[in-house]
Amino acid sequence: MPGRLIAIVLCAFLAEAGGDGGVEVGAVARDGQVYVSATAPDGLMSDLEEAISSGLATTITYEADLREEVGIWFDRTLASATVSASVQYDTLTRRYQLSRSVDGRLADSRVCEDKADVKRFALGFDRLPLFSTGRLEPNAEYYVRVRVRTRPRVTFFLWPWGRDAANGVARFTFIP
Amino acid sequence: MATRPASPASSRPAGSAPAAARPRRPFRDSPLQVLLGIFALVLALAGMMLLLNRSSQLAPDFLSEFVLYALSVVDLMMLVGLVFVLARSVIKMLVERKRGLPFARFRAKLVLVLLAMTLIPAVLVLLVGSQLIFNSVDRWFNAPMDEMLDSAQRIASDYYHDRQRQVSDETARLARILGTADLGTSDLRVLRDAVAGSVTDQRLTLVEVYRLVPGADGLPEPVPVVDVASAAAGPVTSRDTSERLAARAASGQPDAWMREPLASGGELIRAAAVVRRADGFATGVVVGSVQLTGEMAARARGMTRAFESYTQLRVFKPALTGVYLSFFLMVTLLILVSATWMGLYLAKRITRPVQMLAAAAREIGAGHFEHRLERETVDEFGSLVDAFNTMADELAASRRALEQSSVDLQRKHAEVEDRRLFTEAVLDRVATGVITIDAAGRIGILNPAASTLLGLDAGAAGRPAEEVFGSGELKPLADLATAPYVAGKEWPAQEIVLNRNGREVQLALAATPLHGDGRQLEGRVLVVDDITPLIRAQKVAAWREVARRLAHEIKNPLTPIQLCAQRLQRQFSSASAPVRELVDECTGTIVGEVEALKTLVDEFSQFARMPSPKRVPTDVHQLLAGTLGLYEGLFAHVRIATLFAVSLPPVRLDPDQIRRVVINLVDNAIEALNQQGLIVVETQHDAAAGAVRIIVADDGPGIAPEERDKLFMPYYSTKKRGSGLGLAIVRRIVAEHGGSVEVGANDPRGTRFTIELPCGGEAPAGTETT
Repeated sequence: MPGRLIAIVLCAFLAEAGGDGGVEVGAVARDGQVYVSATAPDGLMSDLEEAISSGLATTITYEADLREEVGIWFDRTLASATVSASVQYDTLTRRYQLSRSVDGRLADSRVCEDKADVKRFALGFDRLPLFSTGRLEPNAEYYVRVRVRTRPRVTFFLWPWGRDAANGVARFTFIP
Repeated sequence: MATRPASPASSRPAGSAPAAARPRRPFRDSPLQVLLGIFALVLALAGMMLLLNRSSQLAPDFLSEFVLYALSVVDLMMLVGLVFVLARSVIKMLVERKRGLPFARFRAKLVLVLLAMTLIPAVLVLLVGSQLIFNSVDRWFNAPMDEMLDSAQRIASDYYHDRQRQVSDETARLARILGTADLGTSDLRVLRDAVAGSVTDQRLTLVEVYRLVPGADGLPEPVPVVDVASAAAGPVTSRDTSERLAARAASGQPDAWMREPLASGGELIRAAAVVRRADGFATGVVVGSVQLTGEMAARARGMTRAFESYTQLRVFKPALTGVYLSFFLMVTLLILVSATWMGLYLAKRITRPVQMLAAAAREIGAGHFEHRLERETVDEFGSLVDAFNTMADELAASRRALEQSSVDLQRKHAEVEDRRLFTEAVLDRVATGVITIDAAGRIGILNPAASTLLGLDAGAAGRPAEEVFGSGELKPLADLATAPYVAGKEWPAQEIVLNRNGREVQLALAATPLHGDGRQLEGRVLVVDDITPLIRAQKVAAWREVARRLAHEIKNPLTPIQLCAQRLQRQFSSASAPVRELVDECTGTIVGEVEALKTLVDEFSQFARMPSPKRVPTDVHQLLAGTLGLYEGLFAHVRIATLFAVSLPPVRLDPDQIRRVVINLVDNAIEALNQQGLIVVETQHDAAAGAVRIIVADDGPGIAPEERDKLFMPYYSTKKRGSGLGLAIVRRIVAEHGGSVEVGANDPRGTRFTIELPCGGEAPAGTETT
């Protein structure tokens, strides 16, 4: 009986740690930069739709890690970048204020009224030069892992520690 | 309360301490700690109440991102602490029960009851309260409220949209009008008239016209040309806003409208439209604004804020529920932790003194009287500890006195035992027989000498004296054992004669009463002495005196008789033959008999005046060989054989006297054999007894047992001739040498005389036969 209980707890923990998955990630090394594209699943938007509609400042954060696989040990993280997409809905004017920042720097800002635009803006980014290829070895295998977090988080009422909303990986071979 | 030795000097003796007697930490009440604990508890509860009270004022985001985390962490910590305390207590209780510690079951029950009394209500309250929280939170988001706020928000939003569309439409109309005008003209009145109608008609509150000029970056840049404002409009707060809007419209962005809050509390809804000529070239931008009054804007904002707050609250519903549940859980855990701690504390406080008392009682029971308890509390348990320690002190003192008494008793017992052993040894060794008879007439002590003298076995002890002595010749002992006692008078001594294997044994009996402390008769002691040797010695002494007198009285007249007879013989030597023959015959007879009498008197004299032996170290074998050599060839039909020990130590003896002894015994043997038979002379060395034995045995007819003791009496002889002094002299010579002579039957027939002489040396065992 105790063994069964431990197994259940372990499975629940692994499921928590694993997240939903489903982020489509693309990575291309070109012109001395690693261009990363990411598209979060549509379900994420539906989870946040109520929060956005309520006028809350909603942020979808994409934590991108450039990593290298290491045989029997933990993979090595070569560089990290954070892309945040913020959405604030003005319930009075029915317009969305959108902004995107890369590592804290404002990269884009716009206003729109169309939910489809909001969805496109919030659920991903396209070909952002997030990393430099300076530290990469030629012809070596790398991958970019993107984890998506949202704020406000979707949490269980007695367990506030959230989990990655989604994550995804893209592998590439660095050819200079 | 803790255990402690009574004093450093009275520590427990080595080896007697319990194996697991680990000193326990003293358990003391600490009012300061208790007060601090209660204060911390109250403080925590007050903090929680305060936080809970202000939770409605905190942003949901803050509640969910910070407060919920903090509460969850605290809850987890308290839960872990509670589980730890409970697990520790359960394990301790299990271990105590397994080790069979006293009061373990009682303590477990007490803790369980206290925990149940707290846990069950707390869990029930938690369940009910949780459900209450869920219901309350659900009630916040009921359908009417949803509809009402949604409708209000839609009204406000639709109003804004309408106003924004009106402004946009009017601004676009003005842009079309101004498309035919020259925005670069110096006559601004024309332009003002073109747009003034919209302001006058209150379709717009403010109209601003910009002319587009090429900017430094090549993009069109709006330059203000003219603005028309209604009288109701306040001062334009910021031209920058309209210029940015104009630039945005000029750059071709489709969504060219905005809201601008005013310092007066109202709002401006602004829209921009590009002024184009007929050929589509953009020459300017018109920014039209309509002012919403402060009250209107505030109401719209209020409705929107209410809607947003409500919907945001819905978004944070799980988190808020979690916050309140965490509050509730925290209070429950706080109560549980406090109750658990209090339960354990109370259980410990109740059972520990009792446990310690029980353990101390066991220690005392195990003989560790120096075991003490340290008073830890000042309550009734403390008084109990004092009473226990007092009892232990008294027990220890009693024990010490008892031990001292025991030591004294043991010492006395040892003395008595030594005395008893000494008495037993004396009684065992003494030749006098000793018999004790108790008041009931039963035999107590019967020493070996008594057993031997009376012919009784050791089983006689414990039996009634009358039964043991009641038969035949021991009847006098029974009489003595049962004779009535008269105070101050002792029983008269008696002599009895017993027949032991044909020998007469003369015994002297004496009885002595045993008195108790009250001088009452507790028994009697019978003393039996073998006086046979004494009687025999007295007889010998008497005979020696008789012999000496006889020798003196008889020997004196013998010589005159012999001389007279010889004179008569000489006188009648000349007489006639018949007379002379008669006289010769008579005088010859007289002289012969006188000679015989002289010989007899000489023997008497020798017996009476036996000289003391002149002892010198003598080789017994050589002495015997020389003595026996005298008999060689004398008796044809008597064979004298020797069976000598391999070697004998030299024996200090008078060779002449011992030679006479041997000759006497061999002569007697030859005579007993009627000069036909075998005589064996044997020697033995008894190193253990320090004696040398000379044995003369023959295979003659033997001597009847009843006559054997009489053989050594003077003038007793089984022969038709002889003085009867030979064996008496033998016994006397041997006795003078410190030895003894015994006569017994030879195997298979004949008589066997054994002479035992003391010797100082040792010699190897073994025999050699010739």
